[in-house]
Amino acid sequence: MSEKKKRRRSDPALGMLMAEMLFFFLGFLQLAIQGAKWESFLLALVVPAIIFAGNEILPRLYPSDRLLLSLTNFLCALSVLVLYRWDAATGLSQAVSYGVGVVAMILCVLFARYIPQWKRFTPLLILGSFAFLALPAFLGKEINGAKNWISLGGFSAQPSEFVKLPLLLVLSYFLSQRKVVWAILFAGGCLVFLGIQRDLGTAIVYYGVLLCMLYALTGSLALVGGLAGGSIAALAGMYFIFQSRFHQLFEYVNNRLAIWRDLWKDAPNQITYGLMAVVNGGPFGTGVGLGNAGYNTRTHGGIPYAENDFIFPTIIHEFGMVFGLILLCMYGFIIVRAIMIARRSRSAFHSLLCIGCAALISIQSFIIIAGNFKLIPLTGVTLPFLSAGGSSMVSSLCVIGFLQGVASRNEAGVHEDRALAMQGGEAE
Amino acid sequence: MSEGAFELLALLMRYVYVLIGVLILWRALRWMRRDAKAYKKEMKSLPDAGLVGEMVNLKTGQAQPLPREGIIGSSRACDIRVKSAGVRRIHARFEFMEGKGLCVVPCWRCRVILSGTEVKGRGYALHGTQLQLGGAQLRVRLFAGLKIPHPAYPEDVPPQQEVAVMPWSEVSQLPLFPMPADSLDQDGEADYMPYSAASLPVAPEAPMPYPPADYEGNYTEDGQMTWQYAYSLEELRQAQENYNQQNDEAVPYQSPLPRRRRRSRHE
Repeated sequence: MSEKKKRRRSDPALGMLMAEMLFFFLGFLQLAIQGAKWESFLLALVVPAIIFAGNEILPRLYPSDRLLLSLTNFLCALSVLVLYRWDAATGLSQAVSYGVGVVAMILCVLFARYIPQWKRFTPLLILGSFAFLALPAFLGKEINGAKNWISLGGFSAQPSEFVKLPLLLVLSYFLSQRKVVWAILFAGGCLVFLGIQRDLGTAIVYYGVLLCMLYALTGSLALVGGLAGGSIAALAGMYFIFQSRFHQLFEYVNNRLAIWRDLWKDAPNQITYGLMAVVNGGPFGTGVGLGNAGYNTRTHGGIPYAENDFIFPTIIHEFGMVFGLILLCMYGFIIVRAIMIARRSRSAFHSLLCIGCAALISIQSFIIIAGNFKLIPLTGVTLPFLSAGGSSMVSSLCVIGFLQGVASRNEAGVHEDRALAMQGGEAE
Repeated sequence: MSEGAFELLALLMRYVYVLIGVLILWRALRWMRRDAKAYKKEMKSLPDAGLVGEMVNLKTGQAQPLPREGIIGSSRACDIRVKSAGVRRIHARFEFMEGKGLCVVPCWRCRVILSGTEVKGRGYALHGTQLQLGGAQLRVRLFAGLKIPHPAYPEDVPPQQEVAVMPWSEVSQLPLFPMPADSLDQDGEADYMPYSAASLPVAPEAPMPYPPADYEGNYTEDGQMTWQYAYSLEELRQAQENYNQQNDEAVPYQSPLPRRRRRSRHE
């Protein structure tokens, strides 16, 4: 066997790509056999082809971290598979969001990689963030107690999902310049708007990201703990002072807290449905096409909002708990990879940006998965890459785009250092 | 396919999906480990990765590695920490800019003097530039091979004075080494030769000539760009090639910085 063939055989990237393509080919083929739909047959060929293009061809067009890209592609394609299995229209709309997200991701890669003068955009990003967060107050519609959606010309979007991107950029800039107070002020301003929208889930994510980035910058647990403790104390104080007003404004939060304290008090509810779906699935699941936890069976005992908040229990129901653990590991790998990229980056800004991205994905995933399993009170945030919804998919892929841009900068930096060392890079 | 057959297929396939999932995880883990190992190896061969030089405190003699961007100040969080009177916790920011040098931006109400000139807004330090922050004197030492410009011709330096060339016919008529009267004996013979008393014509003191703006540079033996020692880039490349041919491969670069500090920079 030639040396090239041997190397190719032991290449983990190729093996991983083949495994992913096989997974989705079999998944869609199984759905096609069940429903005897030509659309599913077509998807069984198209989705693996898209994965191949995403992992092999795209990295040749723009510099990227292939492992991160591969894991992200798997999760996004799994989202399309699961949603398509429950409702074909939702699945196809998710596929479109995935496509838009990939284009946005490439733009973010190019932004993080090639635009050195991005700092000039900081005031614009700050103003844009506040304006975007203020939009739901005028054009918003209330869903499940939170008024955080806007609807324009038949399209609806969640501005707080898109503001995550400027939040990461602006916080990284301020903190890299050691302007901690400015960073806290900006994050505080965003939290005020989220409080007005009553979108507490996203507010927790924003605040968590700020604390993680502060810790990464200072390494001071006292500062971060003090900030977290102070905020909780301030919230508790406000709660006791304005108790009746609080109950009125955040009624849905009270309900969720009550369910968290006593699951069976108001049963059956979303969490009990989710837990039962997980238990019914068992270690290896019911099998794709045999479950009944999806949202199209809501009237027949399915999980309410299975496509958004409860996508994780829905997947476990059909694929099993072992597969659920595999998915958790994949999220873990993405986060570890983001931290690796942060450690390798050449500037404080890029390092903090990667830490922020890792924190965003990890906190958001933790909040919703832990909420699904009653470890913490349930809050309505999306699971990155898996939950249905264009805003979430696009913003999550943009976050991955930032990570890939920084990874590519790191790679270029190593090349520069190598060239410098070969020229005799000694200080004179 | 009948419902029973599909059920059997689905029950079988669930194990296949788990197996493929485990395979993907295993491959991803291997990929990450391989990449981490390769990066570690790469970093071992590039001990100065991410650095552009060093900053030497002229009072203590201590040299600190200079990253591409960072902060100078007395705080522990600073990239270049200078503990001296008059140096604030965050005194100035710096960033290496290709083709320009080390851009230094003093923080609000902080003074930075760059080679005798106070920095207003931003200033660019080159190799050898002296920085003064409060009571601390620092010298910037940049690696050779970086794309940095030559020192700019300062506008306030007067143009070089031309020395008048005296024709040889006049020079030969000059009374060289005229003896002072008190050094001669009664016969008019000199008993000693007081060189110090010789009144030789002295050229007016001229400023050091600067290279012209279009100067492409010569290089010292160790690759540092210079305008004083004449090794052209071509000669240097030829010498490097000859050396590589003799030694099979280039000798890896060894940094003079202490190893412990370099490692902490990468970690």
